[in-house]
Amino acid sequence: MPRLSFSPNSKPDCSPVWLICILLCLSGVHTHETVSVMANQVSGLHQFTWTSAEPLECTSLSVKIRSRDGQTTSEWSNTEILQGNDIPSNEKFQIYPIDKTVPVGSNTTFCCIVEEGKVFDTILYNGAVINTTRLSRRSYASTVVNQGPSQSSGFNIICYNSQKELAGTVLFVGYPPLPTDFVCETHDLTSVVCQWNDTRNTLYGKRGTRYSLNNRYCSRQRKQCILSQWEGNFTLVAVNPLGHYSLTDSAKLSHRVRPVAPTIQNSVVQAWNATVQWQWEYSTYNNWALVCQAELTCHGSKTTHTFSGVGLHSVFLSDLYPDEDYSVKIRCGAQENFWKWGNWSEPYDFKTRTYAPDAPDVWVWMNKDYTGQVIWKPLTRRQSHGQITGYEVTLLIENGQHTDIFSPDTTAAPVNLTQIAASSSGSMIIATVVAKNTDWLSQPTSVVIPLRSTDVEPQAVPRAVFVDGGFPLFWQSDANTTFGYVVEWNDAFCTQNCPVEWIKVAAGNTNVTVESANFQQGVRYNFSLYSCSSEAPELLQRWQGYMHELVPSSSVLLSTSQQGSDVLLTWGEIPLVNHRGFLLGYNIYNSTGSDLKLLADWLILEILVSLGITAVFLAIVTLVCYKKRECIIHIVEKPEWDSSKEALVVIPEEDEDEDEQGMGDEPVDTDEPTSLRYYNQVVDDRPIRPRFPDSSASSASSLDSGRTDVTYTGIQTSGSSFVFQLDPQGSSEGHQPHADLPVSCGGGGGGYQPQMQNRALSDDMGLDSPKPFEPQAASSGGYKPQSSWHLDSPVEARESGDLAPCLGSPTSVASTQFLLPDGDEHTEEKRQVPSAAANWFTSLLSSTKP
Amino acid sequence: MADRRTRGMTGSDLSRTTAARATAIAEQLHYECSILLELYRTKESFTAEVTVADGRLVSVPPPSSQLDTRDKLWRLHSALLQCRSLLERAIAKEEEELGGGMKGDYETQRRMVKERLSLLLINTGELLKAVDGTAVLTPDLEGLELDGPTILFELKLWVYRIFKEVDYWTKTAITTLQSLPMVIAKERAVTTRRARSTRSTRR
Repeated sequence: MPRLSFSPNSKPDCSPVWLICILLCLSGVHTHETVSVMANQVSGLHQFTWTSAEPLECTSLSVKIRSRDGQTTSEWSNTEILQGNDIPSNEKFQIYPIDKTVPVGSNTTFCCIVEEGKVFDTILYNGAVINTTRLSRRSYASTVVNQGPSQSSGFNIICYNSQKELAGTVLFVGYPPLPTDFVCETHDLTSVVCQWNDTRNTLYGKRGTRYSLNNRYCSRQRKQCILSQWEGNFTLVAVNPLGHYSLTDSAKLSHRVRPVAPTIQNSVVQAWNATVQWQWEYSTYNNWALVCQAELTCHGSKTTHTFSGVGLHSVFLSDLYPDEDYSVKIRCGAQENFWKWGNWSEPYDFKTRTYAPDAPDVWVWMNKDYTGQVIWKPLTRRQSHGQITGYEVTLLIENGQHTDIFSPDTTAAPVNLTQIAASSSGSMIIATVVAKNTDWLSQPTSVVIPLRSTDVEPQAVPRAVFVDGGFPLFWQSDANTTFGYVVEWNDAFCTQNCPVEWIKVAAGNTNVTVESANFQQGVRYNFSLYSCSSEAPELLQRWQGYMHELVPSSSVLLSTSQQGSDVLLTWGEIPLVNHRGFLLGYNIYNSTGSDLKLLADWLILEILVSLGITAVFLAIVTLVCYKKRECIIHIVEKPEWDSSKEALVVIPEEDEDEDEQGMGDEPVDTDEPTSLRYYNQVVDDRPIRPRFPDSSASSASSLDSGRTDVTYTGIQTSGSSFVFQLDPQGSSEGHQPHADLPVSCGGGGGGYQPQMQNRALSDDMGLDSPKPFEPQAASSGGYKPQSSWHLDSPVEARESGDLAPCLGSPTSVASTQFLLPDGDEHTEEKRQVPSAAANWFTSLLSSTKP
Repeated sequence: MADRRTRGMTGSDLSRTTAARATAIAEQLHYECSILLELYRTKESFTAEVTVADGRLVSVPPPSSQLDTRDKLWRLHSALLQCRSLLERAIAKEEEELGGGMKGDYETQRRMVKERLSLLLINTGELLKAVDGTAVLTPDLEGLELDGPTILFELKLWVYRIFKEVDYWTKTAITTLQSLPMVIAKERAVTTRRARSTRSTRR
């Protein structure tokens, strides 16, 4: 701020109270100060400094002074005048202050002195007009308060006259220096490099902060200063127009060593390791204990290794992989009194040498006709140790050997042992596979191919259940297994040169979870456990399982023939490949007008297995179709029910004639009596009402067909066979799966749930809330087809109203459309039941009502 | 004569190409100058009312219809050379007094204009050589006010004035260069006739 000093000359012994009057010329602004001023002991003079808000150039000031001593006041002194620059002799257009620097938050008053004869207009502060007051005839002032920091080139204050001529000045608003993080270190063990930060810097150019380190000026461009020798104590002084600031740092040189970045010179590279060498910029490092880090990058993956030593200038990198591209960079620090890591070196790239590939994982698949294939898993990049150029497959026969070369993308070699099998007296052939890369051959892997199949198909094929992304398999330890086990899996219905996957299991293990990205829904897989020894692999156990069961992909072809008062229903089996799940049985429905009635649950059905044709003999039912397309059921004879007998309702899948179906080598669901018994126990005895589970489990194809009522039940058990014992009294709660069954489905309620996704099924069926296995509310009422039931013609629609028409033939079958409860719950009761069998059926219905 | 004619035709082709290139550079420079001026006005909060003195900083002979192509080119080249000297000085003074902060668009544009101006000078120099047939002498920069004011606001106005000077002479360069291609051939013929006439007079 402009300061004005007065020196009232008076007697030293006078009263120290002085009255000072300062008149800002012509503005009429008086400033009165009453001050007590002590006399200078040496000169005997009194001195008082008054600071003006306005620059002293703005206008002239007059000053006078008098003293007061108690009640006595002296006369005013003569008026002293300090002339401003607005005097007539100075005609120029001016503005003040000029190029001033002030701290952030301060107030600044500017004044503009217009040219003689010109008229003042405005003052702009950083482009904005500010209020002005007139100080004199030509002088005008403006004050800006609490100023914020200016840009690097400062704020422009421009004064215009009425003719738009201008005078301007620049004001810098900033902060005093405030350096931080001052620290000194050495890179070469001799000189000093000190660094600091100054994040609050707002003044630049000539007004920028100047730094000095131990009284030596530092570069203004970088926040860094270098001294040639370590001095132990360091003082940084920062100065700018608004003030100064000091920081100190003290340390021993040995505690502040931060090595420079090494320069990697070369490397000695092997297949599994490499030695990387570098040079130091300073020879002083040769005797300095260093700790160094090597950051190794391979395919984006980084690993860091640490080494130490005096004058370290190389590192040995082990555990590398052959034929891989690596990049390494090095940084070091002082091993003793570690201070900071030095900078990383520039990355250095190298490639490891090739090496012999890993021995391939080999297995063999043999067909029944002594043909087959030796198969191996392609080597990964990490197993190849170089570019794979091919595979050598050698068949070692007792009389010699035969070698073939296969391209790198081959994973199977066909073998045909027909002739050998006929002529050889030996029992096995050894296949050996060797992988080749550009420079090396792998160790051979051998697998024994049995010439005479000694595998005995397991009688019972337990189920493998897909859990948490895999099939967990368990087995008993086999004493003959010396080389571990192989678990092999493939599509169960594939017979020739099947795509097969396998996993090897160590000898001590008795379980494994089979996982594969190739598992597909609705495909039955065989899982075969082989023991490995010096002899041919021996099949120990086999499982079957679905990753996810689906409804059969085709329906049965139904035909009927009338035999007196009986109707014989016959249908063909669903091709195995279309099962897409474990087939549990067939439901037979009778279409009566708008209703479908489930027959299979309460009628005694006889399954006739002959030539692959399954026949159901309806011993007690006659279906009579009225000419008016209305069908009723006449039950003419009550069945002689003997619950002690084995049930006749047998699930066809287990009863398939293996020999005649040509699938004798394929594992099928067994029909052991024990299992049969369990099937009978678990059967859902809810009669007539086609339940949601049944409906939802109907095959997609049967949904599309309007000509069959044989429907896949969708019920699954986890046992090896599924024969249910009819229990008229029973509820499902009373029937639990046998404890011996390998996998329990859990959940209670009797029966098993298929491995199906409810959501998918509901989507297929258009059901909003699928509850596939939740029993429906009991109702004796019939069911009517959903809206997707298609009438044959509009006439039929008229005749039947909303009800679906009955088909004309007594043996024709209406549809497997899903059934919904009819609004008329008494439909069943209104029907005439002329036979005892019908009464029995009715009472059975009643017993199931809630 | 035959040799001279061959050289003349080659020089004419060269001149046309160089003139076209120089014009394109001048047009680009003019565009970049306008951006620089706008950036400077924004940076310094200069409104349209902030004007600079009318007088030119660059000192060259006044324009005249009497000037031939060579003289017009020489005048332009000289003015642009002075502009570059002024611009370099302005940049140095700005950095000295106010620099050191973050470099932004303004600083980038300022450097771009300086480099483009140098490129234009190379091309006008080639044109001069093509027309005159002699090496281009560096125009005398003596008397050019390169120190700049000491008061910061005056310095800012001085820098602003230099930018405007560059802008003005860039516009002049465009006009001058665009008028050159058709004239060059005529001028060469006139120059040749003059040379003959001079030689015969001396005889």
